Amino acid sequence: MAFFIQLCFNGIALGCIYALIALGFTIIFKASEVINFAQGEFLLVGAYVVWAGVSEWNLNFFLAFLLGIAVTVITGVLFERLALRQMIGRPAFAVLMVTIGLDILLRTGVIIKWGGSNRTAASPFKLSSGFDTGGVHFGTSEIWTIIVTIVVCALLFVFFRFTKYGLAMRATAIDQEAALAIGINIRVVYALAWGIAGAIATIGGVFLGIQEITFDPTLGQIALLAFPAIILGGLDSVVGAVVGGILIGLTQDITAGYESHFANILGAGFHDIAPYILMIIILFIRPYGLFGTRKVERI
Amino acid sequence: MSDLSIQEQRPDLPTSQPSLLSAQGLTVRFAGITALAEVSFEVQPGELFAVIGPNGAGKTSLFNVLSRVYQPAAGSVTFDGRNLLRLKTFQMARAGIARTFQNLGQFPHTTVLDYLLLGRHTRMRSGILLGGLYLGPTRNEEKKNRAYCMHILELVGLAGYYRYPLGSLPFGLQKRADLARALAMEPKLLLLDEPVAGMGLEESEDIAAIILDIKEQLGITQILVEHDMAMVMGIADRVLVLDFGRVIAQGLPAEVQANPEVIKAYLGESIGEQPSTSASAQVEASREQ
Amino acid sequence: MSVSDTTTSTLSIAKPPILLRAANRRGLLVLGLILLALFFLFASDQWLSIANYAMIAAIAALGLNVLAGYTGQISLGIAFFMAIGAYTAVWLGGDPTTTFFINARQVPAIGLGLSILIWLPASGIVAAIAGALIGPSALRLKGFYLGIVSLALIFIGRHIFVNAARLTGGPGGRTFPSPVFGSLDLSRQNDIFGIAVTSNQQFFLLLLPILALAAIFVSNVMRSRAGRAFQAVRDNETGAAIMGVNILQAKMGAFILSSFLAGIAGALFASYNEYVRPDYWSLVLSIEFVAAIIVGGIASVWGSILGATFVFALPQIIDQFNWLQQSSTSSGISSGDLNTALYGLLIILFLLFEPGGILGLINRIQLLARPLSNRMSKGGESSGPDSEPGPPFEVESSTLSAGNGTSLLAG
Repeated sequence: MAFFIQLCFNGIALGCIYALIALGFTIIFKASEVINFAQGEFLLVGAYVVWAGVSEWNLNFFLAFLLGIAVTVITGVLFERLALRQMIGRPAFAVLMVTIGLDILLRTGVIIKWGGSNRTAASPFKLSSGFDTGGVHFGTSEIWTIIVTIVVCALLFVFFRFTKYGLAMRATAIDQEAALAIGINIRVVYALAWGIAGAIATIGGVFLGIQEITFDPTLGQIALLAFPAIILGGLDSVVGAVVGGILIGLTQDITAGYESHFANILGAGFHDIAPYILMIIILFIRPYGLFGTRKVERI
Repeated sequence: MSDLSIQEQRPDLPTSQPSLLSAQGLTVRFAGITALAEVSFEVQPGELFAVIGPNGAGKTSLFNVLSRVYQPAAGSVTFDGRNLLRLKTFQMARAGIARTFQNLGQFPHTTVLDYLLLGRHTRMRSGILLGGLYLGPTRNEEKKNRAYCMHILELVGLAGYYRYPLGSLPFGLQKRADLARALAMEPKLLLLDEPVAGMGLEESEDIAAIILDIKEQLGITQILVEHDMAMVMGIADRVLVLDFGRVIAQGLPAEVQANPEVIKAYLGESIGEQPSTSASAQVEASREQ
Repeated sequence: MSVSDTTTSTLSIAKPPILLRAANRRGLLVLGLILLALFFLFASDQWLSIANYAMIAAIAALGLNVLAGYTGQISLGIAFFMAIGAYTAVWLGGDPTTTFFINARQVPAIGLGLSILIWLPASGIVAAIAGALIGPSALRLKGFYLGIVSLALIFIGRHIFVNAARLTGGPGGRTFPSPVFGSLDLSRQNDIFGIAVTSNQQFFLLLLPILALAAIFVSNVMRSRAGRAFQAVRDNETGAAIMGVNILQAKMGAFILSSFLAGIAGALFASYNEYVRPDYWSLVLSIEFVAAIIVGGIASVWGSILGATFVFALPQIIDQFNWLQQSSTSSGISSGDLNTALYGLLIILFLLFEPGGILGLINRIQLLARPLSNRMSKGGESSGPDSEPGPPFEVESSTLSAGNGTSLLAG
């Protein structure tokens, strides 16, 4: 039983990372109808900048953290302005490919600048600190990940519900033309969306590094597992992103915990594809995800 | 609602002729709005039937039900003896219904000829395998249908534009190409969605002439949704007037124009004693008040 | 109005575009064949190898273009269907005497040793069947939902392939059968009519007609009824349905054709490469094909070929000439990484500035090269009307009468 609870706890902590990544995807999707394939690499860039800040430039953790956020925010805003602007009206596939191009550039950029070897993540916590009760280890890193995720969600909730620009973003997500017509500055909305997504990515990247202790340029690949999160949650649902992320994290860790019993049937490493299988099952029942909305095509 | 039956209104039609399309009690609702409420009407074979009404009256919703884009909450439609509501959107063309588009821009890169050939989809047979091999039968099918489409283009005066992408044509020509495409589908019933919307007087007259020719020379039944009162009153055989989703009048153009409910729907209040022959004259009359 | 009731003048305009109509097209074809023959005879083995890989990639790129370029379905799953083709090939054609060392035991590999005449078509057919099975569920999803599910296919596929060790050789991979025609084994140099023909040359002769057939087939489909339906589905699904196109059927058809081509390409690749690991069929591979059709030209047969050549041949050509120096410092920037960065950049540049890909670029250059006066008289539109446009605005009431006085209803 303790084992199961341990798996659940770790799964939720991992799920929080997925939720953060998924939130980034969803915010961008709601604003600009684009899946940002490069979201994982924003995570990567953020994590590396924070690490470099602490290890190479001797900043303290929080300053480095802020620097990381600044870098990814600027990257996101610049990309939206310079590249994505040109792609308005182009088919979705083409836009996806531009973000794939960005993904490739960011990753190889990181490799060129900092090389491919393993790095120890900058962390304000001591390794394996935490507390134990009932046979379950509640790690500090994991606890902080969950706390920070809750804080981020709360901040976003307040932002979208109660601030002028949050409202503007929601309006734009519902109907761009109408939003334009009532005077919302769409450019600012887009920039905000990409900026927020970039910031969340860095937060996710830093805490992922803290949980995993070491990382290398393949860190961004975790975003590939966040895809099932946004799909099963519903591409245009913020709540769905968080729920989806947590579900995926739980699925992965619980499956990993018990899969050795079924290795003969399922094969080794089944937990890596369990999220995708879950996603497919959910899509069978609800083709637009748990919380997604059906899109109406105009003629 | 006119008290006269179809037979009495149109003594020229054979009395035992079944209607081509018969709608009963159509009701469409979305998101708390009732777009159509208990709409019933009949369309006779070969006639030019117009649906008019102020903005928001439900004309487009009616059209979307008939062209199987919407499913009504209640009601029935019989077309050519069959239950139309059981058809899915793509089955409509084979059943003999062709619809034009109000807003164009669905296929901006498709050439005019390819657009008409697309309309021939249900009249052609080659699938992927036959198409890929492109043997004799497919070759012949392509040749014949291309010639047929070119013929239609010549008749509507667009033959020279056959290689132009639709999006590169001026709006009026795009509408004409769309009409040609609907004709290419060899329909029994043509649904015309605001065929002269956005056009000037001359262009409207050209389209009106084509529509009349379709009726007189091809005998295709047409249902027309339109705002342009002068055009509608000039060419329609019978008119259905909607307002807020309900039928407020149905009958011959002259009757409908004189109907006080109709005047009220368009102009707000009963105005003037003399029924005028056109809506524009009514507007003039109201200005002088 | 009957279909056969037409004037002869319209028939002459209405000929469908054929590959070889104009005389200069025929001349170009002959020139192309001569160039190919010269290449075959005199190119070095390395160049032939590059060309062979490019041709195989072009077949898969054609498949992807059918699904994504012409029918507008977002799919990142092409590597999965290539894998199905490859593993079908090795299941039917693999050497039955091979054994693998799995779980500390020598296990016989799966392989029936059949001829290429069986395994090659089968690879396409089995991949097509896989597409037919997956299609009905997958194709009900729209846009990005479909795209991500196709991504899932790659990962689930990879998991299956790595674990199905008796077929795939497990993570270490296995050898794949070479094409053998009677006594002619294409993986060896052979004497044909007394002339020594290298393995690469033989593959060249095998691959070129296969690619040509695939290209002609796809081109034919796209200029016939099915192709028009595909493109209509891409442009506007509801509009296409109003034309009478059965949307699901059209998508399924495109999916099956696409999977068939991918399967053939996968089998050919595995056979030519002789050895493949399961992690070759990766997301990166799928993305390379997406890049290929974007760079080459979406919804274009020549675009697929050019794009595949660009993405798959160019890195090897760069390696050949050592244009990018190999860096051996500890920073570990390999020419592979720079390659990747380069085509990431190219993808972005092409998408931003030349959406038509290389083909679009060529068209643009051709337009600019035309004499200015020529362009002016045609009203600036390269595809101007071949005959006088009909008088659009002086139409009389009897517009639907044909010019010679007969009406439409005349027999």
